[in-house]
Amino acid sequence: MKSILKSTSLIIAITFLFFSISTAQSKIEVTIGLSYYKKADRSKIAVALIKKKENGKFVFAKNAKVNFYVIHDKEEQLLKSENTDNHGQAIIQVQNDLPLDDSLYFTIVAKIENDPLYEDAQEQIHYKDANLTLNIDPHDTARLVTAIVTVKDKEGKEMPVIGAEVKFYVQRLFGFMPASEENTITTDEKGEATFVFPKNISGDTAGFITIAARLEDNENFGNLENKATQSWGTILPIIKEPFPRALFEPHAPWPLVVTVSTLFGGVWLIYFFIFFQLGKIKKEGQLPINNSTPQT
Amino acid sequence: MVTEKNDLNQEIETLREVCLRPAKKWGCSTLIWIGCLLMVMGWGLYCYIHQLRSGLGVTAMRDYVSWGLYISTFVFFIGLSHSGTLVSAILRITKQEWRRPITRSAELLTFVSLCFGGIMPIIDLGRPDRIANLVIFGRIQSPLLWDVISICTYFVGSSVFLFLPMIPDMALCRDRLTNCDSRFKKFRKWLYTKMAMGWQGTKSQWHRLEKSMTIMTIIIIPVAVSVHTVVSYIFAMTMRPGWNSTVFGPYFVAGALYSGSAGVILGMAAFRKLQHLEKYITPKHFDLMGRIVLALTLIYAYFNLNEYWIPAYNMATHESHVLRALFYGNFSIAFWTCQFGTVLLPIVIMSFPKGRKIKPLIITCIFIVIGAWVKRYLIVVPVLLHPIIPIQEMPLAWSTYFPNYVEFSVTAACLAGIFLIITIFSKLFPMMAVWEVEEGIKIEHDKQAILELHKQREATETKTIGFQLTEPIKQPV
Repeated sequence: MKSILKSTSLIIAITFLFFSISTAQSKIEVTIGLSYYKKADRSKIAVALIKKKENGKFVFAKNAKVNFYVIHDKEEQLLKSENTDNHGQAIIQVQNDLPLDDSLYFTIVAKIENDPLYEDAQEQIHYKDANLTLNIDPHDTARLVTAIVTVKDKEGKEMPVIGAEVKFYVQRLFGFMPASEENTITTDEKGEATFVFPKNISGDTAGFITIAARLEDNENFGNLENKATQSWGTILPIIKEPFPRALFEPHAPWPLVVTVSTLFGGVWLIYFFIFFQLGKIKKEGQLPINNSTPQT
Repeated sequence: MVTEKNDLNQEIETLREVCLRPAKKWGCSTLIWIGCLLMVMGWGLYCYIHQLRSGLGVTAMRDYVSWGLYISTFVFFIGLSHSGTLVSAILRITKQEWRRPITRSAELLTFVSLCFGGIMPIIDLGRPDRIANLVIFGRIQSPLLWDVISICTYFVGSSVFLFLPMIPDMALCRDRLTNCDSRFKKFRKWLYTKMAMGWQGTKSQWHRLEKSMTIMTIIIIPVAVSVHTVVSYIFAMTMRPGWNSTVFGPYFVAGALYSGSAGVILGMAAFRKLQHLEKYITPKHFDLMGRIVLALTLIYAYFNLNEYWIPAYNMATHESHVLRALFYGNFSIAFWTCQFGTVLLPIVIMSFPKGRKIKPLIITCIFIVIGAWVKRYLIVVPVLLHPIIPIQEMPLAWSTYFPNYVEFSVTAACLAGIFLIITIFSKLFPMMAVWEVEEGIKIEHDKQAILELHKQREATETKTIGFQLTEPIKQPV
């Protein structure tokens, strides 16, 4: 009896051990992609994209807790913790005065730490705090758009960035459209990238158009963006058709409303007449049969 | 004369007995059949709940093919519902006497097809609760809203059209069936009494009933035509190659009448066999219905030719992708089988009187009904798989479609639901309009009597003339 008890407890202990090991090993491997954006309103954001390995493929990892740190005096300071959304992204707003190191770089670190589901992982970025400004003369008939990229030196003086690739776009409803086929201009010794804005791009009903200049995935500065609105677009005329035929028109054309209502309204009126007749049949059925002759 | 009246009464009595017999007894086989149908429906319901909980991703439908088997079945069921309009309304309005024994089954087929046809688009929704948005935020310029309005209107009309001729029969059931020893006696009594609407067969009641029936007969035809035309608009009013066709409205109506009338023949054959109605639904009825189906198949073949021949002659870029898939692509076997097996072959078979005999006609109609279903699938799916902007950078599985077990199970459940309603209906109510058939018998009897009278009169006149002729001609003095 004792030997049975012993062997049973041994089996249970081994099974428990096996399951603990297997659960301990079942954490999912993840990768972190970290990006930095400086928007047109000068706000700064850090975006961590977390992907996990599933059936040999990398898919978005939802609901993973990501800790964002900034390096200050060689020590990590927690900025914020954020969970990933359905697209595997954790986005935080970054403070404007980020601590810089001796070579004027700031460092942001994104980490997954002690997560019950995912393995520990980390990624860091190392950028200078540059500025992208747009210079547009609204009366310029040549339609020149000048983007100036500068970075502060140790004395706080704005210094031009030479050789940075600036891309020019036009804002559309669901994203940005390249302003022309050759929309990438490199900054010169003054840090300026000058782009000739085309004349055939359509704007809104008044001809206004939003021009965007972007520095994308730059190895020293990350992603910078600036926007400006000008009346350089061609005016988009709204053609008022006498009989609008689009389904997205807010009001149905009255001939259609009249036709549909008349047709179906007529049919339903007839139905109501039939219901009335049925009511009469029922009522007559409750009367004694004196004045009428039964047929069947 | 007295003997003739007795014969007539006896014939009517036999008719009533035959029609009410199935309602008196629920056999073991009926219960097993109902049990099987409920099992299929239960499994379908389970699959539908699974679909509701997990989303449409559990079906084979993806971004491109968002209308699959469900919408094909919806179009097919709405097509079947035209049977009642054709057989009952059109034959009634043209005063075809032979229609009398088959109108009830045709009207019932309309009613049940609409019941389940109407819910198929709701099943196709990932969030069925959003159907309310069609009413709350409905836009009258949308063909989807026209569809909802016209199907609801047709459903109410068909229900009334089925119910009106049932009133005198319900009175008959109330008087005869509630006295007999049958299951659910109390329920039956309540049901028949309510449905008879106090029918006593007075002159005034008959007048009102006939007036209502005449109005409904006239109004139901344009409503039915509008329903299938509007269903076709859902496809035709999009800019998709393969759907954007001006012929779609009449093409759908012709297809609906063709499959609906074939469905009626199958229903006639089933009830004739199961309820022993051989005396009333005769080979003559099948022959005449066969002629109608033949005519409708010819019309449908003509529309098919127009629908495919003109774009095939042009082979415009976008249209050609769909046509190639149909003519010699993935769907070619199904397409050509439909064209030859369910359109051309039935035309050949039904052109000969032997082909309109009961058995060959039933087989032909089975092919027609299945073919009509497959054809709806071929109208919906290949077009969705060939959008104007080609499918790119998508998982390979999204560029093909074949329904999976969830869609087949839910569709099978709807089909089982149709059979269940028909079965229960046939076990509660007479499957022939008893009073209408009685009326037919009386008319036939009166015709016979008049014919007899004419014969007798002719014989008497011949005798008199013969007698006069045999008399010697008197010479004037």
